[in-house]
Amino acid sequence: MLDGILQGLSTAASPVNLLMVFVGCFAGTFIGMLPGLGPISAIALMIPITYGFDPATGMILMAGVYYGAIFGGSTSAILINAPGVAGTVATAFDGYPLAKQGHAGKALAIAAYSSFSGGTIAAIFLLFAAPALASVSLSFQSADYFALMVLGLTAVSAFAGKGKFLVAVLMTLFGLMLSTIGTDQTAGLQRFTFGSLDLIDGISFLLLAMATFALSEALMVVLKPEKVSQEAEDATKGKLGSMKVSREEVKDLAPVVGRSSVLGFFIGVLPGAGATIASFLAYGMERSFASAKEKLKFGKGSLRGLAAPETANNAACSGSFVPLLTLGIPGSGTTAVMLGALISYGVQPGPRLFVEQPAVFWSVIISMYIGNIILLVLNLPLIPYIARLLALPKKILTPLILFFSLIGVYLVSFNTFDIHIMVIVAILAIIFRLINFPLAPMLLGFILGGMMEDNLRRALAISDGELSFLWERPITASILAITVIVLLAPLIQNIIDVRRRRALKVNDGEG
Amino acid sequence: MTLSKEKAGALCFLVLAIAYGMEARHIPLFPGDELEPFTARTMPIALSWLTGIVSFLLLVLPQREETDDIFSVFRGLNWGKTFVLIALMVFYGLTLSPLGFLLSTALFLIGGIYALGERRWSVILLSSVPATVGFWFILDKLLGIYLAPGEIFTMLGAN
Repeated sequence: MLDGILQGLSTAASPVNLLMVFVGCFAGTFIGMLPGLGPISAIALMIPITYGFDPATGMILMAGVYYGAIFGGSTSAILINAPGVAGTVATAFDGYPLAKQGHAGKALAIAAYSSFSGGTIAAIFLLFAAPALASVSLSFQSADYFALMVLGLTAVSAFAGKGKFLVAVLMTLFGLMLSTIGTDQTAGLQRFTFGSLDLIDGISFLLLAMATFALSEALMVVLKPEKVSQEAEDATKGKLGSMKVSREEVKDLAPVVGRSSVLGFFIGVLPGAGATIASFLAYGMERSFASAKEKLKFGKGSLRGLAAPETANNAACSGSFVPLLTLGIPGSGTTAVMLGALISYGVQPGPRLFVEQPAVFWSVIISMYIGNIILLVLNLPLIPYIARLLALPKKILTPLILFFSLIGVYLVSFNTFDIHIMVIVAILAIIFRLINFPLAPMLLGFILGGMMEDNLRRALAISDGELSFLWERPITASILAITVIVLLAPLIQNIIDVRRRRALKVNDGEG
Repeated sequence: MTLSKEKAGALCFLVLAIAYGMEARHIPLFPGDELEPFTARTMPIALSWLTGIVSFLLLVLPQREETDDIFSVFRGLNWGKTFVLIALMVFYGLTLSPLGFLLSTALFLIGGIYALGERRWSVILLSSVPATVGFWFILDKLLGIYLAPGEIFTMLGAN
């Protein structure tokens, strides 16, 4: 392991890769700061640029963008109450009131220190958890992989939010359906191409990611314009106040950061959970730990309420790399895009990655830590200047984002048919956004679809067409048992809620 | 009668599942594939069944809470500008080969910025033309990605 770490360190610390972390963090912060554009868009926009790079450099750039986008999302959440990323919604609960009270600088500093601490603690966990899980998963077979993918997709749906389970399952299935378009990789037969030569290779993941996130998010900004507040204008002019944090405040926040890092990391490791759930859970946990007096401050500018979600969302970002790097299964929309990027570099993430390409494996982990340092040392002092970029008029920025998205996909295939497919997918994505059908499960389903089909085919071939492969191996059976629990959890929750509501109604009637 | 957005979405997915399932049955097979446990049709047919079942469940199960009527979510939005941008993207796709990268991109950006309300031509031209030329320079000259000149120019050159 030490050899690997040193190898990763030497790769990540090469001047080119250090530059990539810096560029990634900076670009990510800027894109994440723009309301409406999240880390998925930020990473998707970077993919065409990274095609010519070697895999380690490409991944390092994207990891930097990921961190930067989360940090940028926090900045816009604090300054203008417009979280660019779902994972920073909880940051706005207390960050924005602090900014309104004239403490924007302090809120940003606490957000940056908390993110740094959360990211650092989680990177250390990752250092130990990833190789351990990778060595266990070396014994995995097709049946286990199939079961794991079913678990991943089910978990994404289960964590989609109250009452959204079936909707998320539908979107996952839609993603799986889209993945069947094109030539069947094993049989070489065409499926759903309708005789079109342009569809023989199927839909590229980059096209889908760009159209569903970058394009549709940019169009949504036009479709549903948000009013710019006075605070936003102040923020863009760089009026942030002092960034100093007192020793007492650091002392008060240290245990919050510790707790939230652990929680965030483990939530991040769970497939489907990710930064958003981690940040809300950490916020809730801190509120329940707080004294009665402190509890009253939550939502009105509590420093604890700001530090907890900020720490947890960064820790969860690191955590979400564990299933991606060790099992090759992404746990979130963002890591799904990264998986797609890795595959397009010719790198197959999974347990073999750790053995066959330790430089990629370790340098990504090390670069996360470097990314955290860069965010703290360089981005924080630059925030007043980066915030001014928010003042760039939307009427110029939006066509530029649309152009970058379209040309990014075109430059990979040099086929204008892709641009038209992107337009169709973007229109569909807008409709899904308007009716509140989540898009991340679709992307995850699409990326896992091909792998899932291959593993199912192989497992069935090995078991002579019998479904017994589902329960013959203890690993497969255990993973499927967890899947069933995850699948039933929302249902049970639903039944409990209905009973509770009925009981309340009966009580009200009696009262 | 009103239809909630969730139910309307489920109805669309039910129709999609049926159409997808019907099309899945037309996927060609190799001779002898009927004896195989897994063919090119297996996954699509399974997906069509699953999607059908889930969308049907969503359609018939009672909703947890009242959601907006499907038509209300499309009202009060800035559709005009959005449609113009969509049309411009289609136009960009159609003109990229005949007009070439430089001209089509500049036209797309000029059209987009104008459509979003900017009327000062100095601002429009200063934000679109340098961006187009700068990006072309990075791609073509620095990164060595060949961007073919428009077919129209090739034709003019040939004549």
